[in-house]
Amino acid sequence: MTLFGGPFRWMWYLSGTLLIGWAVTLAVVPAARASSDQAQTLHLANAGEPQTLDPHRYNLRLEETLLNDLFLGLTTFNPAGQIVPGAAMRWQTSKDGLTWTFELRRDLKWSDGKALTANDFVYSFRRLLDPKTAASLAYFMYMLDNAPAVNRGELPPSALGVAADGPYRLILTLSRPYPYLAERLLYPTAFPVPAHQIDAVGDAWVKPENWVSNGAYTLQAWQPNAFVHLRANPEFISPVPIRNVRYHPVVNEQSAYNRFRNKELHAIGSFPAGELETARRQYPDSLRMSDLLSMMYLVFNTRHPPFNDVRVRQALSLAVDQHTLTEKVLRSGNRPAHSFAPTLIEGYTPAKIPHFNQPYAQRITRAKQLLAQAGFDQNNPLKLVLRHVAGIEGKKVNLAVLGMWRQIGVQGVLQQAELRNHFADLRQGNFQVAWAGWVGENNPEHYLTLLKSDIGNVNYGRFTNEEFDNHIRAAQREADLIKRNRQLHIAEAAVVHHYPVIPLYTVTVRRLVSPKLKGWVENGRDIHPSRYLSWQDQLALNHNVNVRLSR
Amino acid sequence: MKIFWLALTLLVVIVAAAVFGPGFSAWGPEDMDWSAIQAPPSAGHWFGTDLVGRDLFVRTMYGARVSLAVALIAICVSLCIGVPWGIIAGYSGGMTDQIMMRVVDALYSLPLILIVILLVVVFGRNQYLLFAALGAFFWLDIARIVRGQTLSIRNSAFIDAAKTMGASPGRIILRHILPNVSGPVIVYATLAIPGVILAESFISFLGLGVQEPDTSWGVLVADGVQTMESSPWLIIYPAATLGITVWACNTLGDQLRDMIDKQHAIQIKEAR
Amino acid sequence: MSGYLAERSLFALITLLFVVTAVFFLLRLAPGGPFDGERALPPEIEANLKAVYHLDAPLHHQYIRYLGRLVQGDLGPSFRQKDFSVNDLIRLGLPTSLRLGLSALVVAVALGMVIGIAAARQPGSAADILLMAVNNISLAIPTIIVAPLLVLVFAVTLSWLPAGGIGSVQHFVLPVTALALPYTAAIARLIRGSMVEAQTQPHITTARAKGLNETRIILRHTLPLAALPVISFLGPTAAGLVTGSVVVEQIFDLPGIGRYFVQGALARDYTLVMGVVVVYSLAILTFNLLVDLTYGWLDPRLRVG
Repeated sequence: MTLFGGPFRWMWYLSGTLLIGWAVTLAVVPAARASSDQAQTLHLANAGEPQTLDPHRYNLRLEETLLNDLFLGLTTFNPAGQIVPGAAMRWQTSKDGLTWTFELRRDLKWSDGKALTANDFVYSFRRLLDPKTAASLAYFMYMLDNAPAVNRGELPPSALGVAADGPYRLILTLSRPYPYLAERLLYPTAFPVPAHQIDAVGDAWVKPENWVSNGAYTLQAWQPNAFVHLRANPEFISPVPIRNVRYHPVVNEQSAYNRFRNKELHAIGSFPAGELETARRQYPDSLRMSDLLSMMYLVFNTRHPPFNDVRVRQALSLAVDQHTLTEKVLRSGNRPAHSFAPTLIEGYTPAKIPHFNQPYAQRITRAKQLLAQAGFDQNNPLKLVLRHVAGIEGKKVNLAVLGMWRQIGVQGVLQQAELRNHFADLRQGNFQVAWAGWVGENNPEHYLTLLKSDIGNVNYGRFTNEEFDNHIRAAQREADLIKRNRQLHIAEAAVVHHYPVIPLYTVTVRRLVSPKLKGWVENGRDIHPSRYLSWQDQLALNHNVNVRLSR
Repeated sequence: MKIFWLALTLLVVIVAAAVFGPGFSAWGPEDMDWSAIQAPPSAGHWFGTDLVGRDLFVRTMYGARVSLAVALIAICVSLCIGVPWGIIAGYSGGMTDQIMMRVVDALYSLPLILIVILLVVVFGRNQYLLFAALGAFFWLDIARIVRGQTLSIRNSAFIDAAKTMGASPGRIILRHILPNVSGPVIVYATLAIPGVILAESFISFLGLGVQEPDTSWGVLVADGVQTMESSPWLIIYPAATLGITVWACNTLGDQLRDMIDKQHAIQIKEAR
Repeated sequence: MSGYLAERSLFALITLLFVVTAVFFLLRLAPGGPFDGERALPPEIEANLKAVYHLDAPLHHQYIRYLGRLVQGDLGPSFRQKDFSVNDLIRLGLPTSLRLGLSALVVAVALGMVIGIAAARQPGSAADILLMAVNNISLAIPTIIVAPLLVLVFAVTLSWLPAGGIGSVQHFVLPVTALALPYTAAIARLIRGSMVEAQTQPHITTARAKGLNETRIILRHTLPLAALPVISFLGPTAAGLVTGSVVVEQIFDLPGIGRYFVQGALARDYTLVMGVVVVYSLAILTFNLLVDLTYGWLDPRLRVG
């Protein structure tokens, strides 16, 4: 009492006034509006903040997640991530693989009720490749006839190999066979955008108030770094069970984990690897593990001595034990990789690195011999800088690799950088050895072409091998999928002896999904369109419908 | 006074452990124990091991070396800028003083750590740059204090006496002003150490700190926080050593300041 | 008074110009451009992007262009958030940052004063030692540890409060606490120190000898003296809160402008980083101007005519 009472009473008045002031501040300064229908909204974590929701300007995987809810392309995914007809009912390919004819659904509409026709697709492909759009992923559709020239501004967009034959038939003409086209059309670069709305409001069409799209949902609100709120599109080809979806950008795994446990989020994309055992025990109904179509690897800068010496690359490759990495260091379900194309790819047998099943001790001995032949020993140790993306996984993996290389006398240090800057430096060839990853398609070409000498700067290590290039070129002339994949296997088998990269592992996604959600199917693309999800609890659904009717 | 000795003892223990501690362990800072990855404290690993099986005790002590070195270098840089700045401003007075102190005021009101972050982003993760940038951030306090001290003795009798005897301004500053400002400067240098250590942990949290396999308290704490549920030892030991050091420096600085305040007479050193 | 105000404002403007210039050229020195995405860009596409954002113009043209726009209150397009201008982003993010920062400032000052005065009442008492011990501990633990601990205890374990994001007043409780804690402690220390000192001042001893009651002494004599250091500490506190909010917004997934700073700096979103730094500097300079005026008003010795 003596402490706070008596003559110090005034202090309470003062602090009381200040605290009331604080409350007023909270009330007066407007914060983002809270959603009125929290209860039936699906709350999902997204890996970060989207940079854009314009499907032709997008760049990141986390934007694909949102765009798949907002748009429907010619082809689309089923709940299991397989390719199924989307806006197109069926399609056929000419014998030479150069002409693709798509038959569109008759009931396609934009969210404002306007009919969607083949002309909208023609407009959209031309917009993607128009230099004025400045689409960074325009090259995804470079197989279309005249696409590179149009994108460089040398030909008008009307020269592009895309045409409408009546309102419901779309014809794509390619400059070279591309049997994986149905898969490439899954990407937002091939999504239709509303020509009428873009003509009316210009670039502002992506604002929630102007939004028009053809997917299961439309954009209701977007507060950067807080949420993107989607609402069911009444004009979509089939009604969706969950009418409100809110994506929260959560970069930090720990934060996502906390917010899932505190029941603020229904599904999260990842959580700290160290919590895997706890999650197995405490949330057995929520844990969803799935292998991602992806490859994590180390790449050598083959222009940078001594990594231009195949003996050095082989020695470093021999000393990396993929099993130790996945089983002892990562301990989160990732699969060791011994080939550059992931084993997950359907209809393709990858060519493995030659030493993949040799005993480790024998590999170390051989690695030391090779290093000695290349002129490195105790007095003249090989010193290198290993670059990686900032983050706990990158740190763990690359530290462990350095530890393995220390066993053959290599002295390495790590250099980390934020994702964008890391890959920027890799593309500029500004590294010695680096950790890299490629999340790709369900076809080997998407991975193997990264080693082709004329692919550009995604061949980070500037690896060149004429034999390999010739095999790839031969494959790319092949319209038949089976023959093409066989040819690609020959190419991969030819390149493994040159050790341009060290395959490490394929990513295993650790998700937590509320058991209240139905319709969640794990798949290799880790794609889960919201339109396939529903509430386990029928009551929640009914409530949802009532809310809608009462408006 | 008891608290002064407690703080001093703790600080000495930590510094001694940082210098000699790793010698008592069988592990080097980069040795990985493949059989004990992310293992809790044990007889073999006193503080446990980190995510790739490195001994946390050894790494905490190596981290202490780096963190304390960062603090010392940053303080030295800040003294090199702050002391001359304050003396010149205080001794010159007038317009020069006005302008110089306005610059300090202006910088004071800026979120300088954010500028440090920009520097690190732009010029890459260079340790020495980080030290210098932090030093350039902490000199403001020093400059203000030194100026205040200089102002208060500028017109005192012994300075006037020196002037009439024909001493040059350089000599007056070196022989008379510098010794008299050194006491408060030492106090504020002590009080600035926690600031540097905390700033370093802040920068490490944003992923812009020291590069692996080197480490610092900031890096250890920032990493440890991410695994604080599955392996609490990774946060407890580094956070405790960091916290104790910061507390000890704060306490020492406070006590020293009280002592100097009690002595009142600044001219003591003049008797020499 | 108006001359003083004009001089201070001019000085604030010069500081702002200096900051803008420094940041503008600093970011242009950085290796790698704003369009270095995860996927490769063919040269023709990169050229298109650069032309759209005027990055192909000479540097001094870009600078003058930027200043011209800035004067009109236009911070330009964001390189990274393609669907928003920097003005949009700041308009959307600033309310959250203001709520966070002002709340923390008020909590720190109010709580800091309460603790400081309570401790100063009887220096050396058990209460004083306890309060100052707690204080010193909270000064020694960085926010990057305190914030996750608060989440672990009050959100994950007790489920009392949300772990992150926005939507209600409750969402702000943990972030404000984490942000205000070190400044509460610093202000408490400051006020305790100056109260103890003020109590020994001759005119206060005289007042006490005259038998004035303790409340009156504190209100009329001690507090005005003791408050001055706190007021001059408000400037650095504001700068510190801004810095701290960068981390707190990150940990609690708050959509404030501190997040833009980190994201923008790492992604080299030139216009966004500059916009945030300009807004931060403007806010802090304005705040300091107000503090200066208050100080001059409170302390007659500094009152300027």
